[in-house]
Amino acid sequence: MVENARSINIVASILLAIGILYIVGPLYLTLSTASQSYEYMLRNGLAWVPGTELFANMGKVIHDTRIPVQMLNSMIVAFSNALATCALSFLSAYAIVYFRIRWAGVAFALILATIMLPLDIRVITTYQVASNIFSPLNAVLDFTGLNSLIEMAFGSPVQLELSVLDTHFGLVAPLVAHGTGTFLFRQFFMTLPKDLFKAARMDGAGPIRFLIDILLPLARASFASLFVLTFLSGWTQYLWPLVGASTPDMQTAVVGLARLVPDADGQVPDFPMIMAGAVLVSLVPLTMIAVLQRFLVQGLVLSEK
Amino acid sequence: MTAIDLSIRAAAAEIALIGVTKSYDAKNTIIPPIDVTLRPGEFTVVLGPSGCGKSTLLQMIAGLERVSSGKIVIGGREVQDLEPKHRGCAMVFQNYALYPHMTVAENMAYSLKVAGVSKAERAERVGTVAKMLGLADYLTRKPSQLSGGQRQRVAIGRAIIREPGVLLFDEPLSNLDAQLRHDMRVELAELHRRIGATSVFVTHDQVEAMTLADRILILNKGHIEQFDTPKAIYHHPASVFVAKFIGSPPMNILEVEGDGSVLRLADGQVVANYSAKGKFQLGIRPEDIAVNEGGSIKTEIRYREDLGSHEILETKIADQNLRIAMPFGVEIDTTQTLSLSFPQARLHLFDGETGRAIANAFGDAHSAPVKEYQ
Ligand SMILES: Nc1ncnc2c1ncn2[C@@H]1O[C@H](COP(=O)(O)OP(=O)(O)O)[C@@H](O)[C@H]1O
Ligand SMILES: [Mg+2]
Repeated sequence: MVENARSINIVASILLAIGILYIVGPLYLTLSTASQSYEYMLRNGLAWVPGTELFANMGKVIHDTRIPVQMLNSMIVAFSNALATCALSFLSAYAIVYFRIRWAGVAFALILATIMLPLDIRVITTYQVASNIFSPLNAVLDFTGLNSLIEMAFGSPVQLELSVLDTHFGLVAPLVAHGTGTFLFRQFFMTLPKDLFKAARMDGAGPIRFLIDILLPLARASFASLFVLTFLSGWTQYLWPLVGASTPDMQTAVVGLARLVPDADGQVPDFPMIMAGAVLVSLVPLTMIAVLQRFLVQGLVLSEK
Repeated sequence: MTAIDLSIRAAAAEIALIGVTKSYDAKNTIIPPIDVTLRPGEFTVVLGPSGCGKSTLLQMIAGLERVSSGKIVIGGREVQDLEPKHRGCAMVFQNYALYPHMTVAENMAYSLKVAGVSKAERAERVGTVAKMLGLADYLTRKPSQLSGGQRQRVAIGRAIIREPGVLLFDEPLSNLDAQLRHDMRVELAELHRRIGATSVFVTHDQVEAMTLADRILILNKGHIEQFDTPKAIYHHPASVFVAKFIGSPPMNILEVEGDGSVLRLADGQVVANYSAKGKFQLGIRPEDIAVNEGGSIKTEIRYREDLGSHEILETKIADQNLRIAMPFGVEIDTTQTLSLSFPQARLHLFDGETGRAIANAFGDAHSAPVKEYQ
């Protein structure tokens, strides 16, 4: 028995060590590379030992690249994404759970469908819409024949055009259209006593008061965890910001990092600087997790307290 | 009564339902037209099997569900189109429905806060109600830190703090254990005496109904089977449904046929004299059956249950179940055939088709007339 347990322990420890190596290895390489100079890297290749150039490299990132302004973009995108997602999800879950709405089940199913059709799959259509947010409307007008009527009456068909590419709104809006939050809040609301809404109505509190006085305080932990998760996801988005913003001043930090690798062949990228940039860009989500990790666990463990 | 007792006292209101109906969808009618008047200060228990529409009825009075048609008049005001807060009702829910993040005091004071009552007055009212309900030591606790009985008390406190003219209870005791349920029953009866609000109490438990009610309203598939005092309902059930619902164990119901002079069971045994022909249902309570006193109805014991204070004998006559309750101390030889007789004065006769009671079927001797309520 004892021997048995020990051999299991040894195997488990080895597996754990491999796992740690797998995760920590690249992280270590990132840090060690970030702390060496470009010349050192050119001479020695991979930087296995840490050097002293970390702050110098970071300084280079701050002064010589667009990373600072791109980090600001990331901040705006991630923050608005988190805030808008929280608010929208909370309200839509509230409507679905507490009101007798026709087609509530269908609405919820459609919201859930967004989880199965992530932005990465819809990126081309999303780009088309973002390049002219009225294009769906135009298409509907064309399709239903309304436009030909309008053309007869006014001389020309309606063709509205407004592009949100290269704007913060354009970067954020497609990210917000995502059902995970609604699902999270719905599940949380279902764990609450089911007569709570009625009790509040008897106490004279209408739907808005119930929302503010009862649901909001109860959902605090869910809010915090959803906020952290959507913030992180917004911060680390790559594909959509890459497509949705084309000028360096509108790009996000993650896209900016990738762009630090020169396009031209033959030139060795300044990996120490790029890695210093990666460290810099990771600091924000890292701080976020450190501060709010308590809520992360609390909000995801859906329990009635 | 002390000064505290007097300070929470409601102006009881009359509740009248006039042709009230309810259906959630076109197919099913949950409540067919109901007409009923509950007197001011009266404690009405709405009793019925689960799913018969008790909660729906209560929530229509409260304003949580809209009526499909008809009028609800509370204290002389038509309220069927008013929001709950304008109806002067308060409600106690089965699963307490306390606000989990608020303390006991905050829970009870929430309605006052919404109504804009000053902080000082809120604290005073909470103090009064808490003292009344024995919650004074728990005011700063959260609901999760309370026992089931204490939570139910908080829910009651939350309801009475506004001194509503109408108090509504939706199976408030069904989540409690037997002992606590008994204690809370006593407390509720006491509380009702002190507050005096018109109370409507929904339950499927006949003991709660019998002990708490001034009048019991028995609901079956949304319609009223009988609305009367507990005594009258016990002694003069208006239908087979009521007869089977009230009493523990419930009344025996036997299919009988009248030939113009007597009522016979399917196997030909004569159970009573009666002068009409046709199919009937004959009711007799288990405790009213006379055993081994020279009766002519023969049966054998299939199973006996000793409950200490009395004993239940399960028998069968003419292929129909018959329960007999024997008082403590009566010795019976269970191996012998029993001879039973049904005292005429204790029999209830119901129409074979409709199940409605046939009044005075066996003459006026039929159990002492019950004094009408009030
Ligand atoms: N919101 C609702 N939508 C549709 N049907 C309902 C709704 N609420 C209750 N019902 C139906 O109405 C009937 C009576 O329900 P209810 O009043 O809760 O019964 P009780 O309280 O007597 O157990 C049940 O058949 C139930 O299925
Ligand atoms: Mg119910």
